Amino acid sequence: MKKYLSIFAMVLLLIGVLAACAPDREESGGSNDDSGGGDSEESGDQPESLSVWVNDSEEQKAVLDTLFEKYTEETGIEIEVTPMNMLDQVEALNLDGPAGNGPDLFFQPHDRIGNIVLQGLASPIDLGEAEGTYSETAIEAVTYDGEIYGAPLVVETYGTFYNKDLVEEAPATMDELMAIAEEQTDAASDQYGFLMEAANFYFSYPFFGANGAYVFNNEGGSYDVEDIGLNNEGAVAGGELIQSWYENGYIPVEINPDIMNGLFTDGKVGVAITGPWNIPAYEEALGDSLGTAILPTVDGNNATSFVGVKSWMVSDYSENKEAATDLALFLTNEENSTAYFEGAGELPANQAALEGEAVTSNELIAPFAEQIQYGTPMPSTPEMQQVWDPINNALSFIAQGDDVQEVLDEAVQQIKDNIATAQQ
Amino acid sequence: MSTANPAAKKNHNPKLAVILSILLAGLGQLYNRRYVKGTLFIILEVSFILTLGQFINYGIWGIMTLGTLAGTDHSVFLLIYGLVALVLIAFAITLYIANVKDAKRDAIRLRDGEKVPTFKEALRNVWDTGFPYFFVTPGLIMLVFIVVLPLMFTIALAFTDYTQYNQPPRNLLSWIGFENFGRLFFGTGAGDSNIWQETFISVFTWTVVWTVVATTLQIALGLFLALLVNDPRIKFKRLIRTILILPWAVPAFVTILVFAAMFNDRFGAINTDVLAMFDLAIPWLQDPFWTRIALIMIQTWLGFPFVFALFTGILQSISKDWYEAADVDGASRMQKFRNITLPHVLYATAPLLIMQYAGNFNNFNIIYLFNEGGPPVRGQNAGGTDILISWVFDLTFELNQYSMAAAITLILGLIVTGFAFFQFRRTRSFKEEGNL
Repeated sequence: MKKYLSIFAMVLLLIGVLAACAPDREESGGSNDDSGGGDSEESGDQPESLSVWVNDSEEQKAVLDTLFEKYTEETGIEIEVTPMNMLDQVEALNLDGPAGNGPDLFFQPHDRIGNIVLQGLASPIDLGEAEGTYSETAIEAVTYDGEIYGAPLVVETYGTFYNKDLVEEAPATMDELMAIAEEQTDAASDQYGFLMEAANFYFSYPFFGANGAYVFNNEGGSYDVEDIGLNNEGAVAGGELIQSWYENGYIPVEINPDIMNGLFTDGKVGVAITGPWNIPAYEEALGDSLGTAILPTVDGNNATSFVGVKSWMVSDYSENKEAATDLALFLTNEENSTAYFEGAGELPANQAALEGEAVTSNELIAPFAEQIQYGTPMPSTPEMQQVWDPINNALSFIAQGDDVQEVLDEAVQQIKDNIATAQQ
Repeated sequence: MSTANPAAKKNHNPKLAVILSILLAGLGQLYNRRYVKGTLFIILEVSFILTLGQFINYGIWGIMTLGTLAGTDHSVFLLIYGLVALVLIAFAITLYIANVKDAKRDAIRLRDGEKVPTFKEALRNVWDTGFPYFFVTPGLIMLVFIVVLPLMFTIALAFTDYTQYNQPPRNLLSWIGFENFGRLFFGTGAGDSNIWQETFISVFTWTVVWTVVATTLQIALGLFLALLVNDPRIKFKRLIRTILILPWAVPAFVTILVFAAMFNDRFGAINTDVLAMFDLAIPWLQDPFWTRIALIMIQTWLGFPFVFALFTGILQSISKDWYEAADVDGASRMQKFRNITLPHVLYATAPLLIMQYAGNFNNFNIIYLFNEGGPPVRGQNAGGTDILISWVFDLTFELNQYSMAAAITLILGLIVTGFAFFQFRRTRSFKEEGNL
């Protein structure tokens, strides 16, 4: 009896609650509907302040703080700065944006743009006349589905480092590099002519790309994820080239960044391929003996290194999209991105700044700026996330001597499977 | 005795009290002439509906639909609102049932003519008997929100289609029932590849092997060393014990990273210095089999000091009389170990040992820090040494398969709950044994 009664009570209560289940959502359509741009907002009116999320690196924040001060002086708009790790920003924006606590402007590497757009967190940005002032590669990088989603601030790629005590001149072609490797490699005494993380696709892509391989076919600013070019002839040629390094004993299978950096700073490596972030450590160890150059050409083609671009993006939840865009343009103009380069050491995406005195006068950095023009932006489509694991695994198998065509076919099939599974 | 009571009110109907209090909390109490209590209940119910009714209404709608307008409704928020609403409803139902029961009890008392305490007396009664509950309640309510709610959230996610391509706020989630589990266990679902099922089975089997072998080895080694060191013929016990406990003193992640460097096939000390003496070079990081062996050895090294310390303590507490009696009976060394030492030691430590198994089952640190779950295996989605927890990490942070990760987490949770339940039972049996 008691049991029935309590069940009855529960049911009664539930019915009482559920009966009126039509939610009142009259305030719908908030900030999210005007994704076409900030036209609906009064364009003449200036907001009192803009909120910006910056990467939580102290060097970067220090430079940006001075730039923000300058902007406030010029326009009277206060900038509220929140330092937050770049990689945590998307997750935070996903929750803070709809709740109304999000920033107007945030800072992201371009290869996450696809994912950000999938979540509906960013607005396309109208760069206006400024569009031509950025490097072409940078604009290509921040374009997703034909729309530009960021004002590029930083470009980044890798290049050749060499030890002038061991190698007089940087190798300009693959043949020269192989000659150095042949001549100087003596694995028994840990002496190497040429080292790189060849089993990491990020670094080994140039040798695929130079022969005509591609990750996803890109036409008119959007990627065709059905069309994967990682097992075509060029890719196999690249894979075989990489395999030959292992077979000839130039590069040990067990190489990892720590070991490579250790050997290079010990002066035991002639040439290494890695990124400019290693310059401070290498320079400290080798001093004036350190030289940098663009990547060697492969069969006469320039090596197509992956280019990463970091850009300012406008939150879709921002109520001041126009002002936010204006700030993004201000931060990435020639003068300010040069200032940012000088403070934070990251290459500017602004073409004039990239070719400017500050960059070209820096011998170690200048080759990376040159390499940018031969590079390809990493695909920003979300499917790229399904590429890394299978292709890196394939490179491990190639390093161990498995058949290149077979391994690459398998990898491409796995990428396709993963994409299909992810899309379900 | 009640029938003879002159104060009895035969026509007072408990059923009516119950029905009234179901219709509106407090009405039954009013009927019972408990005016203050009844009014309090009515105020409570009305204010509950007025303040939280809207929220609960919204929450229930949210958890049922997970939103209807993409871009405006944020499914994750709605899911959380809905779960909070469910918790609130659970609180309300508990109170409501208490109200109905109270009305019924009072009505029966009134009919039978028992002395019904006045409001003041009742208050004092509650104060005397319910004092501990009164103070525990806020903590319990907090616990529900900070412990139970996140758990409910994870469980709920396992039944949604939260993936990289279907993320709020742009898209809405929807309930897909057991589809994720179907894909894992039976390989059903869209797509012609069985990648989920194949990977799940291979990862799961290795997880089990890893848990059983690594933990058993660390316990066996700990026990063996504890027995050795406890032998009366051993000198310098304190020094030996200190040395044996040292691996425990170094933070595990440091040890693991050092080992990862030492096991490097070409540059690591193990191949270049130790095995080179025997003309051996084992592919510790390239071959899944050897990576597994290395992992098990490292975990044994990391885990035995705790077991050793534990057993050493227990061994001291076994009475010498037992062994003397055994000696008198002419028992062999082995017999003494099997019939006296082992039962004592295991009985006392079983709960902790079970938790060792549970700990290794979810030992993310060692797998991830040593080789990030590698080396890769051809034709498989996870690395050769990925255990379930490191695979979940990959799925969430590299592949953004949130709902699948939640489904596997749920399975993991159930398994570890099994361990914990088992441990709890052992603990209780131990306690009861002590009471005898």
